[in-house]
Amino acid sequence: MRDQILKALERSRADYTEIRVEREWRTEVAYRKENLENLEASSELGGIVRCLVGGGWGIAVFNSLDNLEKHVEDAYRIAKAVSAKVLERVTLAPAQPVQDEVRVSLKKDPRSVSLRQKQELLSRYNELMLKQSDKIVSTNARYTDSFKEVTYANSEGTFIVEERPDVTLLVSATAREGEKNIQRGAESHGWLAGFEAVENQEEKALKAARRALDLLKAKPVTAGVYTVILDPDLAGVFIHEAFGHLCEADFLFKNPRLQEVLKIGRQFGVKELNVVDDGYLPGLRGNFKYDDEGTPRQKVYLIKNGILNSFLHSRETAAKMGAQPTGNARAVNYQFEPIVRMRNTYIEAGSASFEQMLKDIDYGIYACGSFGGQTMIEQFTFEAMYAYEIVKGQLGELLRDVVLTGNVFETLKNIEMIGNDLVIKGSSGGCGKDGQFPLPITAGGPHIRVRTLTIGGKAA
Amino acid sequence: MRNQIRSTDLLERVAKQTDGAEIYELHSLELPVRFRAGVLESVKVVETAGRALRIIKDGRLGFSTTTDLSDDTNLLQNALESARSGDPAPFRFPAKQPAPSVQCFDPHVEHLDEQKLIALGEEIVEKIKAYDATLQIDAWAVKELEEVTLCNTSGLELVSRRTVVSVGASVTRAQEGDILIIYDQDTSRRADKLDGTAVAQRIIERLRLAEKVAPVETKAMPVIFHRGGVLVLLMPFMVGLDGRNVFLGVSPLREKLNQKIFDERFSLIDDGTIDFAPRSTPYDDEGTPTARKFLVEKGVVKGFLYDLKSAALAKAQPTGNGFKSGFRGGGFRRPPGVAFTSGVIPPGEKPLDQVFKDLDEALVVEDVMQLGGGNPLAGEFSNPVLLGFLVRKGEIVGRVKNTMIAGNVYDLLKDKLIALSDRPEWVFGFVHTPAIALDGVSVASK
Repeated sequence: MRDQILKALERSRADYTEIRVEREWRTEVAYRKENLENLEASSELGGIVRCLVGGGWGIAVFNSLDNLEKHVEDAYRIAKAVSAKVLERVTLAPAQPVQDEVRVSLKKDPRSVSLRQKQELLSRYNELMLKQSDKIVSTNARYTDSFKEVTYANSEGTFIVEERPDVTLLVSATAREGEKNIQRGAESHGWLAGFEAVENQEEKALKAARRALDLLKAKPVTAGVYTVILDPDLAGVFIHEAFGHLCEADFLFKNPRLQEVLKIGRQFGVKELNVVDDGYLPGLRGNFKYDDEGTPRQKVYLIKNGILNSFLHSRETAAKMGAQPTGNARAVNYQFEPIVRMRNTYIEAGSASFEQMLKDIDYGIYACGSFGGQTMIEQFTFEAMYAYEIVKGQLGELLRDVVLTGNVFETLKNIEMIGNDLVIKGSSGGCGKDGQFPLPITAGGPHIRVRTLTIGGKAA
Repeated sequence: MRNQIRSTDLLERVAKQTDGAEIYELHSLELPVRFRAGVLESVKVVETAGRALRIIKDGRLGFSTTTDLSDDTNLLQNALESARSGDPAPFRFPAKQPAPSVQCFDPHVEHLDEQKLIALGEEIVEKIKAYDATLQIDAWAVKELEEVTLCNTSGLELVSRRTVVSVGASVTRAQEGDILIIYDQDTSRRADKLDGTAVAQRIIERLRLAEKVAPVETKAMPVIFHRGGVLVLLMPFMVGLDGRNVFLGVSPLREKLNQKIFDERFSLIDDGTIDFAPRSTPYDDEGTPTARKFLVEKGVVKGFLYDLKSAALAKAQPTGNGFKSGFRGGGFRRPPGVAFTSGVIPPGEKPLDQVFKDLDEALVVEDVMQLGGGNPLAGEFSNPVLLGFLVRKGEIVGRVKNTMIAGNVYDLLKDKLIALSDRPEWVFGFVHTPAIALDGVSVASK
């Protein structure tokens, strides 16, 4: 394969050419109630060529490597057509050529664990949830593993082979009481690890089922504006979704209004606030040594001491904005070109203990976990998995239907306490952007306390 | 270079080691053209091929996929390993059955090259720019050619060629504390059915209506679900009529078959046989013929959607709704599951402006966020309105901001139906529907 790729690069007529080929082995086990919905072992091979001609990109995706030079020629032809239309020629920030081979060693390589073992493990977690109560009316349990070998080469002399493993586990239970009261509990996890990561996780299945059952008895939140403590999960979702995406330079550089707001050096929060996108945290998802342009991973402070410090870049956005590439050009798979994406994004730990955060709250909300949500530029909406009231400095009753909405810049300013208990985690899903989903990432933070956050219940 | 194996030859080999097998092979060529911030950003040629093997061995199902079309060993080994722990197979792969005649292929799409697609996208961008050059305009045009081979050990052998073309745009105007996003598109299997000008005009028409902002009160009021807004009402049906949810006992519609539980003016049809509709096909991805069938007829629940597996489990007949994942069916990577073909809601009698005129005050919802938010299995929805207009005394007086809608679709369609408009439109290429006006929908505004 190496010779094929090098030859195709050599023959390319483009100003710049890169080829990425991915070989993947993957399995999936999926249960819905007692029903085994999928049990699969599959393999895949595919690649992508990207050519830059006269400042325009042309891209070709393929499965068969038999005619690599034809795909390079396709990409070249298209790039030429694009270059006739571009107003501003694309250039790439300079990069050092890299030659590297990155192999991983896993405790239990999923490729050598039988499908039956995976199925039996998941079946056990699934049954555990179903068994908790006859009020558990449905479950979803899913295990996935993927082992990729990615070969990346470009016409500047970079040639990298990198192994990228990933495993995920989702356990989710739905409980019902009467016709209308339907509640869900879920635990969703993903790791850069072997099969060992998903073993002995009975506690997660129990937690999901018990939470669904507990929520049947929880009271709906009363909509209003509250002092809110976000748990590390929800803090992570907030910082990734509401803020992190705005710092992705490919989004930013075509949006002049946002560039006005997001000025490097501008104060965005209290002095204690530090927001990081870290390329390397051992064991966490998305920790690959290189991005999909061959740029090594880095640790980037998006916010340092409350002040906007940096954006995330590909070689294209770095060239355009006069910055350095940050190793954030990532593609979800060989069918896509790399775009600017996060890796491990979190709020750094502060100094407050959870008790200190609770102490002077007369009435507030402690919101935990996330069922996802939506952002629209600086507006965000997230649904918490569950929440508790805070009454006179003490945790009170369990609450449901907690939806947080707001403006990210106001909310960042309103962060008034930052906990000392950082947790970063990956979920079983991943990040989605421009049709590229699910990209392995992690997010996290310590507990954070936000004054005046708007909580909507379900619209009454 | 190793030689590719034909699916039918591979099937012969597989048949010897299994009790039943099915091969689905897909070759696809896609050509997407994308504009970002009003400028051509990228063009891509995506030429992919893959194969899925489903087997029954000792009464159990096994599944595996590969992109290596010369492989005659690993795919079968993987499927056999899957079948060793697989779910019991409650069905057999079907023999070939007569299917409706459905047009799915337009030879003109083959000749749409990148230049023509770029021109299609440019046309939309330029039209919208002419209305307001300060808008952020993202647009795309894409064509797709697919060739699917489906064969099984019951003697089925189908080869089908399909085409799809699609153009669309998303327009954003962001001001401090106010974000306006308008999205529209047109999708068809036929090139000359595609109307980029109409997409641009629909966007401009709504931009014009959105110039003014109208405050709306928090209360229960009539809501007219229009265009993308209708999907809010369809979500509960998509999950509630899914044969898997019926069999698993989680659909509230499971015991309502042949009962009249909705207003008699409301019907819902699943139709895989409309010529050149993007989800039309004579056979589904398992080889069951598609059909036009009433799911709700004059308020009466008439049927559910089944693939082979859910039909067998529920002791029902497969309905031609077994599709592999992906919005348009297609893809080879996933095992089949239940999906709608085209959703069709028959229209009413009143023109839309007459529906407006009959209402003192109403909210028109054209697009929402968090589709599927709330609890669709219970019929509930709860969505922030992405694009909505306030109607007063028959006229649109402006766009609403920071507004949520919520309600229960099953309850609302039972006794709160005001009217269906007389002219159905295609929404996102897979639903053909009139506007639907319902009373008593919760509207909350900040």
